[in-house]
Amino acid sequence: MPIDIPMDNWPGSVKTVTLGATSDQGGTRSSTVTIGGDQSLPFMHFEKPTANRPVIAMEIAPARPAEWSPVLLETWSEVVDDPGAWANACEEAGADLIVLQFGLKGAGDEPIAADLATSAVKTVLGATGLPLVVLGPGQAEIDNAILVPIADETKGERLVLGLCEDGNYRTIVASAMANDHLVLGRTPMDVNLAKQLNILMTDMGLPLDRIVMDPTTGALGYGIEYGYSVMERLRLAALQGDAMTQLPMMVNPGFETWKTKESKVGEGVPEAWGEWTERGVNWETLTAVSLIEAGANVVVLRHPDSLKRVRAAIDDLMAFETV
Amino acid sequence: MYIIGENIHIISEKVKAALAERDAGFFQKLAVAQVEAGAQALDLNLGPRKKDWEEVFPWMVKTVEEAVDVPLSLDSTNLQGIEAGLQAITKAQPIINSVSAEDERLEAVPLVAKKYNAKLVALTMGKSGIPVSADERVNIAIEKLIPRMLEIDFPVSDLIIDPLVLTVSGCQEYAPELIEAVRTLQVVWDPPPAISVGLSNVSNAVPTKNRSLINRVYCAMLMGSGLQMMIADPFDEAQKEVIRVIEERDDSTPVGKLYLSISDRVAAMEEPSVDDVDMSDPEQVKIWKTVQILLNQVIYAESYLQQ
Repeated sequence: MPIDIPMDNWPGSVKTVTLGATSDQGGTRSSTVTIGGDQSLPFMHFEKPTANRPVIAMEIAPARPAEWSPVLLETWSEVVDDPGAWANACEEAGADLIVLQFGLKGAGDEPIAADLATSAVKTVLGATGLPLVVLGPGQAEIDNAILVPIADETKGERLVLGLCEDGNYRTIVASAMANDHLVLGRTPMDVNLAKQLNILMTDMGLPLDRIVMDPTTGALGYGIEYGYSVMERLRLAALQGDAMTQLPMMVNPGFETWKTKESKVGEGVPEAWGEWTERGVNWETLTAVSLIEAGANVVVLRHPDSLKRVRAAIDDLMAFETV
Repeated sequence: MYIIGENIHIISEKVKAALAERDAGFFQKLAVAQVEAGAQALDLNLGPRKKDWEEVFPWMVKTVEEAVDVPLSLDSTNLQGIEAGLQAITKAQPIINSVSAEDERLEAVPLVAKKYNAKLVALTMGKSGIPVSADERVNIAIEKLIPRMLEIDFPVSDLIIDPLVLTVSGCQEYAPELIEAVRTLQVVWDPPPAISVGLSNVSNAVPTKNRSLINRVYCAMLMGSGLQMMIADPFDEAQKEVIRVIEERDDSTPVGKLYLSISDRVAAMEEPSVDDVDMSDPEQVKIWKTVQILLNQVIYAESYLQQ
């Protein structure tokens, strides 16, 4: 008996956003990454082909991130002391993008100086040809102090700069507009706030195709269902034609999972939890794949084995495209 | 539209301060002003007053009754306080606001309403909270609220069911369902219970400058589904104008015509239509954008009118 598969025909779609610029385009990247363009819910291949497959970003830091799980530090070994070498290792591991995440503190107890931050960005740009996302710690003063000179010094690269948040977006958006960069807007797991921030940023004159949004999520077992619902709702609104929700989404399963006890702690936990590294990688992989199913266009990861597994999952999910 | 004036509400800083000082003149002025503005009853929301209920509730009733003759709605979760207030009533049939479908509340509050011949506002809210869907809210009325009234021989004609308005800022999916709940509740019993909502709740946590617009557009939609009573702000002139336009079927202005068509579409169980909107008129565009968020078709954001 023939079965008619019910199909949705959505009036709206997610904006297509290109990260990075090659030398022809005013930057120095060896290639660019294009995300978004979705015309249906994720992987509904029978409705519309997936315009751009989800991409995997790897997170690095300007210096050894002391608060990271020992599992991660051991895995990456000595490259964590050199952001250029680290970025390069990520590229070799198969990353599509690099996320350079600055923390609240530099080498000492003070925030990193703007000139050191800028040189860290230049080091990474010199070491890898991948497009780059540069994120401050999410504290207005520090973010603005480092991101403005970084934006100036890397004009034309189409970096993604963040964090743009409800209380601090004007300076970063203005800098991005003046220097041909993109921005990342982050809101705390709330569809209304996510949309509001997009309205505020575009009100400044920034085109929608230069914004990526981070609706925030939780790790598996730590609120992922809330993040999942918010992403699903944003994606549905985008497909229904709500322009201010039609932005690609980038989320951080790496950050979220490697701070959970299951990933971070190796001793004094039940034996049934299994081997530490395997557990952490599983946690990160399962969280990331779930979020891709919810509509994430970019997942930011920390462990190279998770990168391989998430890549394999994306390949499987995309396999129908070629059948 | 029967408006129960909402302005004596403990969340207001002025009300809080005046109550702390037992400033009778403040409450009498506010009561008179609301009645003069068209309120046909007054809600007195004093909060629980756990420590001084014995004195505060009768004081408030006495104070307000010295100034106005309209029914007073005692709005509190403190049943002892409500009872103390009811004992002080000397004028119109009072209202108890409110009871829910939670067992303990539903056991006790209707008995007090019956004892004092008060009307009773009953919320379609059970122990697991407020259901999103209209049907589930109506079911609470049919399965819990009305049966309890019959059980104690409380007249359904004195029952006021409140299917609960929630804010479009955060509970957007509830907004269209409430419209249907209001529609269905009118046919669940013969004689039908009255239906009332707290209209202004729809714009809680919305920036002040947009609250009135959201309230009056929702009011037009709810009038379409048959709403005839609400706790609302009687000082909101724009809202009263919408009520007048719909009640008098006054289509003499373009904006009035749009409000009327929104209400008529809802009444006909249709969705309000963009065909009725003159997109070259900024006021009509604002109304249309508001309809879309209230139907949960476009996600609400503080700056939704700028989109």
